[in-house]
Amino acid sequence: MARYKGPRGAAGWALGLTGALTAACFAAATRGGRMARHPATPPRASEPPPSPEKATLAARRLNRSAGTLAASVLFDSAVEHYRGDFENRAMYTPIVTSALALAVSAHGTFDKSPAAHKIRDGVYLLTGVVGLIGTGFHVWNVVQKPGRFIWQNLFYGAPLGAPMAIGLSGLLGFFSERVRDTPIGQTPRLFGLPAGRVIGAVSGAGMVGTTAEAGLLHFRGSFHDPFMALPVTMPPAAAAALTNASLGAARTDRRLTRWWLRATAIMGVSGTVFHAIGVGRDMDGWRNIQQNLLNGPPIPAPPAFTGLALAGLAALDLMEDDSDV
Amino acid sequence: MSDNPLHTPRALNGRAPDVFRKGAWVPMREYSQNEAVDFVVIGTGAGGGPLIARLAEMGYSVIGFDAGAYFRPLEDFASDETSQSQLYWTDERLIDGANPIKMGSNNSGKAVGGSTVHFAMVSLRFRPEWFQSRTKLGYAVDWPLDWREMWRYYDKAERDLAIAGPISYPWGPKRPRYPYRAHEIGGAAEWLARGAEAMGYQWSETPLATVSAPRGDSPSCVYRGFCRVGCSTNAKQSQLVTYIPRALKAGAEIRDLAMVGRIETNAQGLATGVHYHREGQWHFQRAKQVIVAGYAIETPRLLLNSATDRFPDGLANRSGYLGRNLMVQSNQAVYGRMKEMVRWNKGPPSLTITEHWNYEDKKDFFGGYCWMAQGPLPLEWSAAVSSSRGLWGEALRQKMMDYNHQVGLKMVGEMLPSMENRVTLAEEKDQYGLPITRITYGWQDNDKTMIQHALGEMQRSLELVGAQDIWRQENDTNHLAGTARMGFSAESSVVDADCRSWDVPNLWICDGSIFPTTGGVNPSLTITAIALRTADRIQTLHRQGKITL
Amino acid sequence: MSDTLPNPLDERYPGYDVLDKRLTPSWNDATRRVIDARLAVPREARFLNALEWRTLSALCDRVMPQPTYRPPVPLAAYVDQKLLSDTRPGFRDAALPPQRETWKNGLAVFEAEAMARHDQSFHALTPSEQEALMIEAGAGRLGHAGWSAEQMQLFFNGHVLTDILGAYYAHPTAWSEIGFGGPASPRGYVRMQNDRRDPWEAIEATPETVEKTRKENRNVR
Repeated sequence: MARYKGPRGAAGWALGLTGALTAACFAAATRGGRMARHPATPPRASEPPPSPEKATLAARRLNRSAGTLAASVLFDSAVEHYRGDFENRAMYTPIVTSALALAVSAHGTFDKSPAAHKIRDGVYLLTGVVGLIGTGFHVWNVVQKPGRFIWQNLFYGAPLGAPMAIGLSGLLGFFSERVRDTPIGQTPRLFGLPAGRVIGAVSGAGMVGTTAEAGLLHFRGSFHDPFMALPVTMPPAAAAALTNASLGAARTDRRLTRWWLRATAIMGVSGTVFHAIGVGRDMDGWRNIQQNLLNGPPIPAPPAFTGLALAGLAALDLMEDDSDV
Repeated sequence: MSDNPLHTPRALNGRAPDVFRKGAWVPMREYSQNEAVDFVVIGTGAGGGPLIARLAEMGYSVIGFDAGAYFRPLEDFASDETSQSQLYWTDERLIDGANPIKMGSNNSGKAVGGSTVHFAMVSLRFRPEWFQSRTKLGYAVDWPLDWREMWRYYDKAERDLAIAGPISYPWGPKRPRYPYRAHEIGGAAEWLARGAEAMGYQWSETPLATVSAPRGDSPSCVYRGFCRVGCSTNAKQSQLVTYIPRALKAGAEIRDLAMVGRIETNAQGLATGVHYHREGQWHFQRAKQVIVAGYAIETPRLLLNSATDRFPDGLANRSGYLGRNLMVQSNQAVYGRMKEMVRWNKGPPSLTITEHWNYEDKKDFFGGYCWMAQGPLPLEWSAAVSSSRGLWGEALRQKMMDYNHQVGLKMVGEMLPSMENRVTLAEEKDQYGLPITRITYGWQDNDKTMIQHALGEMQRSLELVGAQDIWRQENDTNHLAGTARMGFSAESSVVDADCRSWDVPNLWICDGSIFPTTGGVNPSLTITAIALRTADRIQTLHRQGKITL
Repeated sequence: MSDTLPNPLDERYPGYDVLDKRLTPSWNDATRRVIDARLAVPREARFLNALEWRTLSALCDRVMPQPTYRPPVPLAAYVDQKLLSDTRPGFRDAALPPQRETWKNGLAVFEAEAMARHDQSFHALTPSEQEALMIEAGAGRLGHAGWSAEQMQLFFNGHVLTDILGAYYAHPTAWSEIGFGGPASPRGYVRMQNDRRDPWEAIEATPETVEKTRKENRNVR
């Protein structure tokens, strides 16, 4: 058997289009330079003093990435916890917190004020803590099941990695507020380190975690569609490049990393299209939405990659704005 | 529905039903009755389906005959136990003996795709030692097949059927990863797992022939739970949606609603073709080679009914083994009621399994058994409650209200072969004017000992997870085997290791009836693996000039 | 149909009607066709004669007594229909003739024994008198001229119980009664774990929640 037949008709066209789009991004990423809006790193001597506008801009970009992650978690956890019938009241928590995180992130994205916002800060902190607690709940769910940490429970029990997505949203938001708080005349720093490097490393690690989750679930789906290999190949490469940029030498050429991150961000968004096509491919497609939205591929999940890639891009901006990095 | 597949053949005029689309067709090659095709295959189930596909793919001309209808699951299958009896072989068969076997829904399909259209999709490998149960385990007889070769054909069968199974299977020699991941286990299946853990036994997700993610035109399983009355999702990887479409693509012809009544043999003792009944009359199809794949009742029936002066006891029956050593599998169960809402009808019925007693030899009986989780639909369930508990009236109606709280464990156990368990022809005739079968069956002491052992074990498992109102279903059996045994010599078997009959060199038998022993797992995957091997062997023998085509 | 409220304990899934799902994705066209035809069964004897029909109806009332707060499932009509179409299960105990003959003989034995013992037709006996005869038949102790006790036992256990229960539990009314989800294609189920309910599945009541559950179940589809 095993003769794989791709989706037909409109689905096929959509698939082809997103595929082409992704491929174009790849090409652009590898060709790099020509399309770059950022000029090559200027020589050290002509570096102007750190500007608060740049810190605020970076902070707003981080708000945007935190918001993207929060949006993904909001819809994904709503669907998944509905599937779980909200058996435990605590299952409403990520929906509430991710909605709040989304709201304050939207606020932050449009807020040009150069100082941290108390409510935003509080929400982000709360969101980060909820991610940690959620992980605890999910571990608890898995160990209650027969066989505990066996593939069956990793596939179908509460997903162990999922709560950290909202945790990351909170963490990135929290970083954003710190970057925004950067005193005039200084470069943004976190824990005494250049902010760009910290955020880059965190985003890279987050991307690896998200890849692991996508890999697990795509493995559950037997990689039945060749496109399912994309989210387990592109983001790790992006994460490696980003980590290298974050931990590596100062003043290096990071254009390739930038393009990889852009491509990954687009892949995250196009993943929703792929997943929507997947839902349509299940029994009776969109007419059987009550089933397929829950049992088919999770439509809101892939933009988590977008959120992290955007954070990575913001981190790169911070690094380039910092003459020491 | 534009046509009734039960009354009018669909595979006609150069086209066959497209099983994936309502009202649609796929092109089909057709052969003339006067043309002696390379192969006719009688039966399109677990044995016939792979043979038709593989032989056609090798370039041979092949016609597959089936007495049943050619369904399009999406338009023909209702979610209904009663009406889906259209999938079963419901022609009359007489049963007798000390433990008469219930036929029909239990073990006999009548449709293109055979019983795989309504099987429970459980796709397990034999324990290697079972191929040498006489030498290695001290009972019954050895098979003329080597388990290592079978292991390779199991690999192939599992890939072809996209079996969804666990990442690593706890019992037996290493096997490759199943092509698809195991399904989520349901409530009833979870109680099996918890019971097994409490007993210190390993458990596993059951490898099933239903996809857990889309595959070609098959969407993933929707867990509707009507698997045993036909899959209207097409997630089930039955012959109807796997090998049969492959066969058509490779140029085979399928003749549905075509009942083969007799194999013609010539003066040289060679088969020359088959007489079959279709569209109200008898026809004759010439063929160079005839392969019978009608399963353990219809296969001996056809061969017995093809007797001639030269073969007075039926074709391929010099040994006297044809129709004998019929085996079913013990299918006893223990049921109980949980405090929780289990809703055991959701999902495939046998999502978890323990093969502990197939691989543990410290026991006071021969053979092995496994047990699996259960999820019967109301009709089957009411019959079990009524017959096993002797209930009817208000008492039964009240017990039935516990339906959503029920759990159960059901064994599949190895019964040993006996010459006295057999299929013979009766005087009575069926709608085609052919003699119907008489099926005689009785349990032996070893069978009874195993059943009691299994019932005790399954009961303990349910007690350990706190089930209430526990009771035993002691009378059920399923699956068929035997009646045309494969063996080492023409004196004590019907076919050789290649499924070729000892007596008629161009007559082959390839279905569950060639099993010398039946093992303690569901037989379908083994039948399919043997069919894949037989196709390869036929090609090899042909190349060596040992088959005339 | 009476207006009396049912005993709360008798109704485990109050208000749940599997037929409410008829137009949802849980039913496909093939299912609608089959169930529509089942619900439209003619409620009269078409194969059996009048006396046999009355004997059969009495057996149905004993094998599956039905509550009075809802329309009964016309069990005798389904058995008669099965005999009319001669739908068979695919096997027959060698001690019995084909099913039509078996049914006619078996019904005649119940009638003859009723006349012999009570001088009344089987259908006119009290329920407990009927049950006594049925229990004897099921235990292999009820034979009558030309029809052995063994045949009667095979008839009772293999045909009377099987066919009548088979008719009852093939009916949407029975599915609703036991909280079975009924037809499920193209839409199957999502929530597989214990104590998890998909929104299109019946809610079980406790004695305290009967009326609340009845309201909730009316929206299940």
